Amino acid sequence: MDKGRKPDSRDEELLLKELRQILLREDRDALEQLQEILDNKEQLTPRISPIIKEQIDLLKSNFPDEYRQEVREITKEQLLDSQEDILNLLYPAMGKMIKRYIAHQFQILKDSIDDRVKNTFSSQGILGKIKASLFGINSSDIILSDIDSPIIEEIFVVQRDSGLLMGQASIRSTIDQDVVAGMLTAIKAFVEDAFQKGTEELELIEYDTHAIFTQSFHSYYIAVAMKGSLSSGERDKLSTSLYDFAEKELKHRAKEIDETNFNYISSKLEEYFITTQLNKERTAV
Amino acid sequence: MISKKVILTGSFGVGKTSLFNQFIYSRFSDKYLTTIGVKVNKKTIEVNGREISLLVWDIAGEVSQDKVPTSYFLGASGIIYVFDLTRPSTYKNLEEDINYLKDMVKGGIIKVVGNKEDLVTEEQLEEVKKEISMPWDITTSAKTGKNVESLFQQLGAELLD
Repeated sequence: MDKGRKPDSRDEELLLKELRQILLREDRDALEQLQEILDNKEQLTPRISPIIKEQIDLLKSNFPDEYRQEVREITKEQLLDSQEDILNLLYPAMGKMIKRYIAHQFQILKDSIDDRVKNTFSSQGILGKIKASLFGINSSDIILSDIDSPIIEEIFVVQRDSGLLMGQASIRSTIDQDVVAGMLTAIKAFVEDAFQKGTEELELIEYDTHAIFTQSFHSYYIAVAMKGSLSSGERDKLSTSLYDFAEKELKHRAKEIDETNFNYISSKLEEYFITTQLNKERTAV
Repeated sequence: MISKKVILTGSFGVGKTSLFNQFIYSRFSDKYLTTIGVKVNKKTIEVNGREISLLVWDIAGEVSQDKVPTSYFLGASGIIYVFDLTRPSTYKNLEEDINYLKDMVKGGIIKVVGNKEDLVTEEQLEEVKKEISMPWDITTSAKTGKNVESLFQQLGAELLD
């Protein structure tokens, strides 16, 4: 710049620019460094992680106090909304647990009776013992095998309150299954109401050489119409099969009655109870 | 196809079973046989091109509805309450009974039916209307079959709505 010449506005601008660069150099460097850290994950992570961790720890320790009420409300609401689903899921599992316990207790009782009768003599007993020793089979199994096994003729899954049919399978077509399901529900309701037994359920209807065994679940029950007598052991076995069936096939299908669910349940009933039985009969012949 | 449970109820001897038989089998008998417990039957009807299967529970008559086992009402979508147009004792508690039924089947459809129309004159019918505190839905005759099909058609249509 020449001495004696008045600085014009352009010169002033250049001077200001230079001055800005000198004054802001340090800040710019710091900003660039910061930008580099922000853009580089490796550099950013160790700096931010402790802060996030601290916040998470803080949230963890304060969560029960801060959000207890909200969580309680949401959980309560969700439980109420899905009450039916939960019960349908739990019912078969709970039933199986109770059955296992009862079966265990019965086994203890049976063992004790077996011990007592071990030394009792009778012509049948001696014959049984000879057969048992010849074939290496337990004598109580031989007695059981002498009794004819019942044959499942029809099986229904019925909505518990309305008596509407949810699925069915049978070895031969008889009268209208919808009507059977309705009448069965009416009989169950009548007996349970008449005797006012609270949570107890009608389980067995016997007529001549036939029997209808029912197994109740939360929102439905399964009725099995059979020919032949049903021993307590067979009843127990059938009950276990029904619990298994309910657990595997009905837990997601029991909520709504529609054509898809009806066809699915019916085909599964056929597969589990009718086809298997017919195959067994053929093998026996 | 949609299936619905329908309860047929009312005092004894009002013609519930006759309505049931007329609807299901299209037949009528003068012989009175009291219903023991309950009888269930099914009929599929077509309403506006859609099929609906009605599972009708014909319940033994009771003087008052609170005497009917409550479990019978569970899962019902519709109720047909029948009274006898010739016997005032069968409709004297009508309002009370209907309120009780509304409470038993919340959201369900209730049809109030005055039966045995063939046994009353126009004048007698007008007298009954004056005696009853609330209007009924339909007047039927299980004997002649008048309005029986129409009753179930109306109910079917409302159940499909």
